[in-house]
Amino acid sequence: MRDQRRKDAVWMFGTYTFILVMTVAMLVPLYWMIVAATLPQSEFIQFPPRLYPGTAFFENFAALQDRMNFVRSIWNSVFIAVVYTVLSVLLCSMAGFAFAKYEFRFKEPIFYLILATLVLPIQLLVIPLFLMMAQIDWTDTFRAIIIPWLANPIGIFLMRQNMKSIPNALLESARMDGATEFQIFYRIALPAMRSSVAALAIILFLFQWDLFLYPLVILESSANYTIPVALAGLEGTQRVYYDQIMVATTLAIVPLAILFLVLQKQFVSGILAGSLKE
Amino acid sequence: MAGITLTDLSKVYDPGGEAVLAVDDVDLEVHDGEFLVLVGPSGCGKSTTLRCVAGLEDVTEGSIRFGEDDVTDFRASERDVAMVFQNYALYPHMTVRENIGFGLKLTSKLSSTEIKAKVEEVAEMLGITELLNDKPKALSGGQQQRVALGRAIVREPAVFLMDEPLSNLDAKLRSDMRTELQELQNDLAVTTVYVTHDQTEAMAMGDRIAVMNGGVLQQVGPPEEVYRQPVNEFVADFIGSPSINLLSATVEGATLSGPAGFQYELSDPTPLEGHNRVRVGIRPEDMTIGEDSPNRATVTVVEPMGNENFCYMELGTTELTARIDPTLRPTEGEDVPFSFAEAALYLFDDETGETLKAKTDAEASVPNRGVDLETEVSN
Repeated sequence: MRDQRRKDAVWMFGTYTFILVMTVAMLVPLYWMIVAATLPQSEFIQFPPRLYPGTAFFENFAALQDRMNFVRSIWNSVFIAVVYTVLSVLLCSMAGFAFAKYEFRFKEPIFYLILATLVLPIQLLVIPLFLMMAQIDWTDTFRAIIIPWLANPIGIFLMRQNMKSIPNALLESARMDGATEFQIFYRIALPAMRSSVAALAIILFLFQWDLFLYPLVILESSANYTIPVALAGLEGTQRVYYDQIMVATTLAIVPLAILFLVLQKQFVSGILAGSLKE
Repeated sequence: MAGITLTDLSKVYDPGGEAVLAVDDVDLEVHDGEFLVLVGPSGCGKSTTLRCVAGLEDVTEGSIRFGEDDVTDFRASERDVAMVFQNYALYPHMTVRENIGFGLKLTSKLSSTEIKAKVEEVAEMLGITELLNDKPKALSGGQQQRVALGRAIVREPAVFLMDEPLSNLDAKLRSDMRTELQELQNDLAVTTVYVTHDQTEAMAMGDRIAVMNGGVLQQVGPPEEVYRQPVNEFVADFIGSPSINLLSATVEGATLSGPAGFQYELSDPTPLEGHNRVRVGIRPEDMTIGEDSPNRATVTVVEPMGNENFCYMELGTTELTARIDPTLRPTEGEDVPFSFAEAALYLFDDETGETLKAKTDAEASVPNRGVDLETEVSN
């Protein structure tokens, strides 16, 4: 009995130590990024490094904004990601709903075909997509960044799995109440899936926020640059402005942090959805 | 208000190319304002029939009429029916008020104040006014049930359909709700089709009951008639609790010979004509034990119910049940004589199960009381 208790204690100690180490390992770069954003370049590269924040944040930011309109890039990224997320959540949910709750010909093959597109890396799609966009004269536009990625296979898969858990009786009940199929989707299925929608929103937002190679190819004028494209531009050929890069990356995570904080509760329950029978 | 007429209704499911006949050529008429209970064992096609009436399933063959209107090809939303589901199917993200008002909001031309007034009126009728702002998750099973009913009632449909609405409630609540539902249906006088596998519920609630088995409609009639005059062995066996006692017997003239030396002589052998073997049925309440009789069975269990006792016996390998007076407590393993009146006897065709003779005497159904018995003193 006592042995067992000791074993449990050791196990628990080990587990918590591991979690602590991992947490620190993940937080250190983040902390370093924020500290570095507040230091002048000279202090940033000294050894041993300075580990507490300085006061040069606004100077660094001013220098960054001087070199390029970074605020504009943040706005571009936010605009693209928000519009993309809203449209894609709607589209993926509708597709997931159809795959989960309707019978139609070739349903399974179509679904697996969509899943199969997951194996195609973005790098493979960039050139053909660019050619298509050039043909319809969409290069250097936001719609070229948003529209090709709207049907997201992971999103469709996620929503299909979750929509399957909606009892058929619920939909039938709405049908008897006189709801149209779209009303059933929009007023019953979607609200009932709120946590999955939140999880999907975060996944899609992140996907678009991090998208780099494709916007790099499509966007030409610097006024249209998204954050990743703008960041890449900061690595000059002569000198790397670490201070400015750090300010930029620090600012780049702010919208994400806000989004995650707002949706956190729903995101976690969405990830866990279906794991417990209530 | 409208009656419902099903003509030659058939439904074939075809999952993966394997056709399953769920409803087989059903003809059924539900009168205007009637409470009809569709009853049968699991998988007998009763729910499928109901879903066809609701418009939730396509009909393979046959037609459905509400009054004079053929609604076979109408969608569920166009049929003016309301359905209460077994698991209530309340919208989880809406309050009780929104749940009840949802249908009206979508289909009626009422203003939001009119809808509000109607929802409140129905809520008051069902005693759930104080729950109007709660979400379904916060409600007990019985309360959820009321909300589901409210959602059906508020639309004032021509037809109510109920798919085992009480089966998720505990026994006490179930019997309370049973009464309440009947009163409600009486007040509203809306044609109602109620599906259940519980024959007690069917007997208690239905103006008429329709017994189904294997997709085929077996018998339709008032509960008393179905109980007393079943058309076949299945109906006799399914309706009645505890179930009817059934045993196989060979026929020699007017004498029936069954298992373990069972013998019974009929004074009127007309129903036996042309049969070598028959199935014999006796309702548990028509069995008398302890009176002098050549037929004896071994007592296995006695279940006291308070107002009566259920005495389970074995006749060879055939199990028999008798409903007896609560003062009678035969001991387990005891051989007791049992008897019954000829008028109470049912006879069924050995092959088709068709009824050859049903119970004829009204008095025969009265359970025996105060029989002088040696075993009475035990315990």
